[in-house]
Amino acid sequence: MRSPDEPLAVRLSGVSLVYGSRGRFPRRGGNPVEALRDIDATVGIGEFVTIVGPSGCGKSTLLRLVAGFAFPTGGQVAVSGVPVTGPGPDRGVVFQQPRLFPWLSVRRNVEFGPRMAGMPAVRRRERAAELLELVGLSDSAGRRPYELSGGMQQRAAIARALAPDPAILLMDEPFAALDALTRERLQEEIRGIWQTTGKTVLFVTHSVDEAVYLGTRILVLSRRPGRLVLDQASDLPLASDPHTHPAFTSVRETIAAAVRRSASDEEVT
Amino acid sequence: MGVCGAVIRGVGLRVGAVLLLAGIWWAVAAAHVWPEVFVPSPGSVWDQLFLTSSVRDGQRGYSGHLLHEHLLASLRRIGLGSLYGVAGGIALGLVIGLVPTVRALLGPLVTFVRTLPPLAYFSLLIIWFGIDETPKVTLLFVAALPPVAVATAEAVRGVHEDYLHAARSLGARRWQLPFQIVLPSALPEVITGIRVAVGVAYTTVVAAETVNGVPGIGGMIRDAQRYNQTDVVILGLLVIGASGLLIDALLQLTARLLVPWRGKA
Ligand SMILES: Nc1ncnc2c1ncn2[C@@H]1O[C@H](COP(=O)(O)OP(=O)(O)O)[C@@H](O)[C@H]1O
Ligand SMILES: [Mg+2]
Repeated sequence: MRSPDEPLAVRLSGVSLVYGSRGRFPRRGGNPVEALRDIDATVGIGEFVTIVGPSGCGKSTLLRLVAGFAFPTGGQVAVSGVPVTGPGPDRGVVFQQPRLFPWLSVRRNVEFGPRMAGMPAVRRRERAAELLELVGLSDSAGRRPYELSGGMQQRAAIARALAPDPAILLMDEPFAALDALTRERLQEEIRGIWQTTGKTVLFVTHSVDEAVYLGTRILVLSRRPGRLVLDQASDLPLASDPHTHPAFTSVRETIAAAVRRSASDEEVT
Repeated sequence: MGVCGAVIRGVGLRVGAVLLLAGIWWAVAAAHVWPEVFVPSPGSVWDQLFLTSSVRDGQRGYSGHLLHEHLLASLRRIGLGSLYGVAGGIALGLVIGLVPTVRALLGPLVTFVRTLPPLAYFSLLIIWFGIDETPKVTLLFVAALPPVAVATAEAVRGVHEDYLHAARSLGARRWQLPFQIVLPSALPEVITGIRVAVGVAYTTVVAAETVNGVPGIGGMIRDAQRYNQTDVVILGLLVIGASGLLIDALLQLTARLLVPWRGKA
């Protein structure tokens, strides 16, 4: 059990978001869309929290709120105890598409964060080399992003997000666009990176398997408007091979049942 | 094979097309369907190339200037006008693309200027600036600016927000985004706009040189037209056209070197 004054990476208190309600998110000729309703959740430092739920339930929206790309219409989002007022280098973001800057080499992409922080060129280079080594891209440092395969691009994106040494890594279905084999390899690698760096990770996925394989805590969101329907702790990611761990099937069944229930729920209005 | 073969085939096709057209021209002129003053022979245009490029009896080339002096004068006007137009167009496009208020204020104005034929405002520029270089370069500037401004503004608005978000999450400040993210990601479209702008400057320069345009290819053509020297007129057209092709090829090459990711990212 966590004590109430233990430091938290993220705290969501009664968070709601309605698109198109305040003119902040103008929606062309449509009614307001209630994306999230009254979410209470916390993420402890060093946890790997996965968020799973049916498509359109507000997973990306939730991550965007933590990243500071959007603001809740109700409730509060706090990171490291401070309300979020915008994006910042304390929260690295990896999108579904790698979104590397095509005008920069892979190395210069990774150096972007340190450069914005004013790190001297020599140290920046060392930092980039370190991170490219971590994601296994040392040989591709001088290449342009579009010369890499999708999996390599996503690795580079992870290295870039880690470069400013963020406290929290936010990942929005980062492996969803990859082929199955690459996806499995990258799942394994991100688990390794999490174990070696000790970062707090908030990881959105629509795959129950992925959520169970990676999450030390698994949050299940209901279909729109997204509400938190299950908050399940798990120590599977700490096992040497979670897939073959005896508990894997039972945890997966619990999560899958919650997702199924939430997806078939009548929409509450 | 591959790139090399494609280049050779491309060049071959072009040379072939030029030779074919020259052949047709030669045949038409040789048949004397129309008088020499309408369709001069390729031979007399060829002779003019040398006559206008040499000094005879103390007479320099044509209208007192050698051919390359005419060309350089025109290229200088095109270069300056395009340079100012591109610089102004990028700055204006960036602001129009980034600031909705400016877009509402200046967007229609840019569209208005773009639809005006350059000659329509040339008279105004002559009244304001006289008949020397200023109105000519200004004309080319005004003609070259809108294509760059429009292309830049569109590209700036089209930048995917994920790139901006990624940069902000990597520690970029809001004020750093225009130069760190927006301009580089708009570069492919901006360069296309620049090519259009230089093309517009090219088509406008001959018009700009109808007033006090010597030295200048436009001035040379204008003088030759007065004296019915059709071969010199055609020479002028060929020279300006050929230099235009060359410069466009250079711009395309620059684009390939500068934005190798075009169409790939
Ligand atoms: N900018 C927006 N304006 C209006 N509605 C939006 C916007 N972004 C997302 N939505 C809607 O909010 C809901 C949640 O979206 P999202 O968070 O992207 O879901 P998920 O990532 O779980 O698939 C969806 O129904 C989506 O259509
Ligand atoms: Mg999503």
